[in-house]
Amino acid sequence: MRPQFSIIFFTTLAGMAQGLLFFVALLNIEGPVLSAPFLSMLVLPVSFTLLTLSLVASFFHLGHPERAWRAAMMWRTSWLSREVIALPAVMTLTVITFFFVITGIVPALVWAALLISILALWICTAKIYQCIRFIQEWSHPSTLSNFTLLGLSSGGLLLEFLLMIWNEPGAPFGISLISGVNFLLLFLALNLKLWIWRRNQTLKPKSNLASATGIKGSNIRQTSMGFMGGSFNTREFFHHQTDRVISNIRKIILLMTYVGPMILLAFSMNSPNITQIAIALLMHYIGLLAERWMFFAEANHPQNLYYQRVS
Amino acid sequence: MSTNKQLALVIDLNVCVGCHACVTSCKEWNTSGSAGPLTDLNAYGANPSGTFFNRVQTYEAGSFPNTQTVHFPKSCLHCEEPPCVPVCPTGASYKRKEDGIVLVDYDKCIGCSYCSWACPYGARELDEERQVMTKCTLCVDRIYSETLPESERKPACVLACPTSARIFGDVHDPESEASKAISERGGYALMPEWETQPANHYLPRSIMETIDAARNDK
Repeated sequence: MRPQFSIIFFTTLAGMAQGLLFFVALLNIEGPVLSAPFLSMLVLPVSFTLLTLSLVASFFHLGHPERAWRAAMMWRTSWLSREVIALPAVMTLTVITFFFVITGIVPALVWAALLISILALWICTAKIYQCIRFIQEWSHPSTLSNFTLLGLSSGGLLLEFLLMIWNEPGAPFGISLISGVNFLLLFLALNLKLWIWRRNQTLKPKSNLASATGIKGSNIRQTSMGFMGGSFNTREFFHHQTDRVISNIRKIILLMTYVGPMILLAFSMNSPNITQIAIALLMHYIGLLAERWMFFAEANHPQNLYYQRVS
Repeated sequence: MSTNKQLALVIDLNVCVGCHACVTSCKEWNTSGSAGPLTDLNAYGANPSGTFFNRVQTYEAGSFPNTQTVHFPKSCLHCEEPPCVPVCPTGASYKRKEDGIVLVDYDKCIGCSYCSWACPYGARELDEERQVMTKCTLCVDRIYSETLPESERKPACVLACPTSARIFGDVHDPESEASKAISERGGYALMPEWETQPANHYLPRSIMETIDAARNDK
């Protein structure tokens, strides 16, 4: 598939905001742990900004953004439609939480609602890809696990960074512990990614030219796709990159998304350092963009069987 | 399900000569019909590209001397279980109850392309200029026309085919020419592994069996 930059930015920005809000809601649901000014002046505005940016990015995916409101209509059957409802729900609950924070105490029910909406958005986003049964790379529960784990890791890193720039005293836990948790999340996410890449390599495509055309006989090959100048089919479903570019991007993903931030976190478990965390966060996000790019590039659509040769 | 009408095409691979008359007649009718315009990009440049509802592809099979060239027309298969329809977030993609044609409401389409991802056949094309998803309509604006003569109330591709390789009809009516062709001549569906139940069928080439039989005779 062709990597879609609107969706790459949408899923990474929203995922980071979801991860941040998830941790904050989880920490505060039993009672206030993080201080009100930290929440109202930093965490919630940052989350809301990230969610807004992701929403803006998603509009760039549409041919007719002015009709976007229609996309909430088919929530009974379409995961995309459900996502279109879930994202504003998370944003609304973020605003509601903000008002509770500035007026007093946030009820556990509000934190719980926020948690549920965050999980719902992760499920909707992942299911959009996972439910396409013939894109075998996507049609697996690991799609949801990957989106969720990377949302948590980027959100966790952002929380750690925000705690350090705020010098937040309210937390009864040290930055070292958060570094440890983030390290663990990245370690899990890395193992999942390696497992996904191994699975993708060993996938046996269910469709082939014999099933796609029904032509009897051995050694079926296409001699003409029927046109020469390209079409939507040749643009939308191929990444148009060489194997070398793909393998280099894989290395960038491993280094930037996982290994680099893990090394920096390992250091900051002993001696927390704001610069290290800032670099880890930046590396992780750039790596995430590449990871999401690859998520599209490595998906093989069966329609590509019909578009192999120009002559 | 089977009591309803399901209009479809049955394509005879024995006689398709790959002339692309169905491609051009489809484009001609639909670009000025209710589904149009089917816009072209860079039409007179080095890499012309445009929206088409129908393509004719060419395949080879076998090894010398037992080889064959197969011309293979390809358009929307109007699946009985169309995976492109439930994924549409706006309801712009729909399958008509009365005749089983899968259509796009261009006024509701937001151009998100998700339906095209959900079609294993690559039957849908986003029109670059209009930014809405387009696809074969089975010439829905021809087949029910009250102004065209009765004999012309068929999809443009069917009328254009010089070898009558395209049969149009109701595949749920066992007495239709299309249904009979499927049952008598081994009509098959594409990519049955995804259980989309395409309504369009293809008739397999029998020439290779004839050649094999002739070879074995001597």
